Amino acid sequence: MNCDNSRVYLPAYLDDELGVAESLLVQKHLFRCEDCRRTLDQQQALRTALRDPDLAARPSADFSKRLQAAVRQAAKEEARSQRPSWLETMRFGSFRWIPAAIALVLTVALGWLFVISRMRTSQDQLIARAVLADHIRSLQANHLVDVPSSDRHTVKPWFQGKLDFSPPVPDLSELGWTLIGGRLDYLDGRPVAALIYKRRMHNINVFLWPNHGPADDAIRQEDAQGYQILHWNGAETTYWVVSDLNSAELLQLGRALRGH
Amino acid sequence: MTQQEKIGRFEEQISPHLKSAYNLAKWLTRSHEDAEDIVQEAFLRAFSAFEGFRGEDAKPWLLTIVRNSSMTLLKRNRNTRATLGFEESLQDQSEHPPDPEEILIMSCDRQQVRQALEQLPLDFREAIVLREMEGLSYKEISTTLGVPLGTVMSRLSRGRDWLRRILSTPTPVKREGAGL
Repeated sequence: MNCDNSRVYLPAYLDDELGVAESLLVQKHLFRCEDCRRTLDQQQALRTALRDPDLAARPSADFSKRLQAAVRQAAKEEARSQRPSWLETMRFGSFRWIPAAIALVLTVALGWLFVISRMRTSQDQLIARAVLADHIRSLQANHLVDVPSSDRHTVKPWFQGKLDFSPPVPDLSELGWTLIGGRLDYLDGRPVAALIYKRRMHNINVFLWPNHGPADDAIRQEDAQGYQILHWNGAETTYWVVSDLNSAELLQLGRALRGH
Repeated sequence: MTQQEKIGRFEEQISPHLKSAYNLAKWLTRSHEDAEDIVQEAFLRAFSAFEGFRGEDAKPWLLTIVRNSSMTLLKRNRNTRATLGFEESLQDQSEHPPDPEEILIMSCDRQQVRQALEQLPLDFREAIVLREMEGLSYKEISTTLGVPLGTVMSRLSRGRDWLRRILSTPTPVKREGAGL
């Protein structure tokens, strides 16, 4: 071992952190080298100076007492807070919280579904009101048709470029429903097609637009202010039919339209 | 473990190291008030974490908490007090270990040693205090400071060189000789 190595090892030698083999090597070198012995002496002297008990900072007796009191106070507060709280009784490790959690999720989900269905219903009611208002306005304003024609091959192409869908325009004349034309209307926040059929003196407005929701073929019937309103959601098209025609006949039209 | 048992065990195993805890905090912060605050906070933290203490050596365990509390306080103060400029300006000196030939007289006057240690850069100071005053092993210091063993050795070595340098007076002859 030379002096450079020895310098590196000396602190650890002094700290008693060297292995037996290295310690022996350092000792051998120290025996031969005066410089390193002097360095060791200095380090030893420094160590003695640093280990002087009076150099260490001492806490006051008063502080010791205060500290003990503070710890005991903390212990008391800890004991008080360790009474099982509702959170702790549902400790994750115990899994007792799972049924409660499932019940909570179910309740929320059912409540949500209920609210959604109510919203759906109330939205349908809003549309029904708008459908009726549109029907009445179309008769009052003498603006029943934009394209007066009993020919479905005239009415259907007329909607092109005015709507983002092509409405089915069935010819129901053989069943006694005369097509008298088509009209562009606005319902449920979107442009929709209105087909106007006639039976005897009764005008019938058929509003239709693409159905993006679930299909429900059952025809719902509503009586409002002396008018009959029919509604169903076809696989592709939502239908609203409104007229002052009697409900039995109007239902026949509904079925005929649905059949197409 | 009941609360009574916990207090009993805590006061038996941890409280005896109050002197060490205070000494470390005092040397790290160089302030009596800060040291008392830190030790109190560290003792309360130690008490609430005491259930997790598995009867290893209590002293390094407590000193680790004291050291962490001290660092939190020092970092907070660093923004308000410019205490480190002085240390940093002196830190360079430790880069040059003293030449053993150069040093003839090393003062071991307690007041001078105290001043020298107070001036020592924080990294070195904490390693020296833990080793020389508290007698922790390299491994325990490494755990307490959260640095590798090699870093502990190098900080101890550089810290001691630094102390020896400011505690020693170079011989006038050498100085003049160097000037010629």
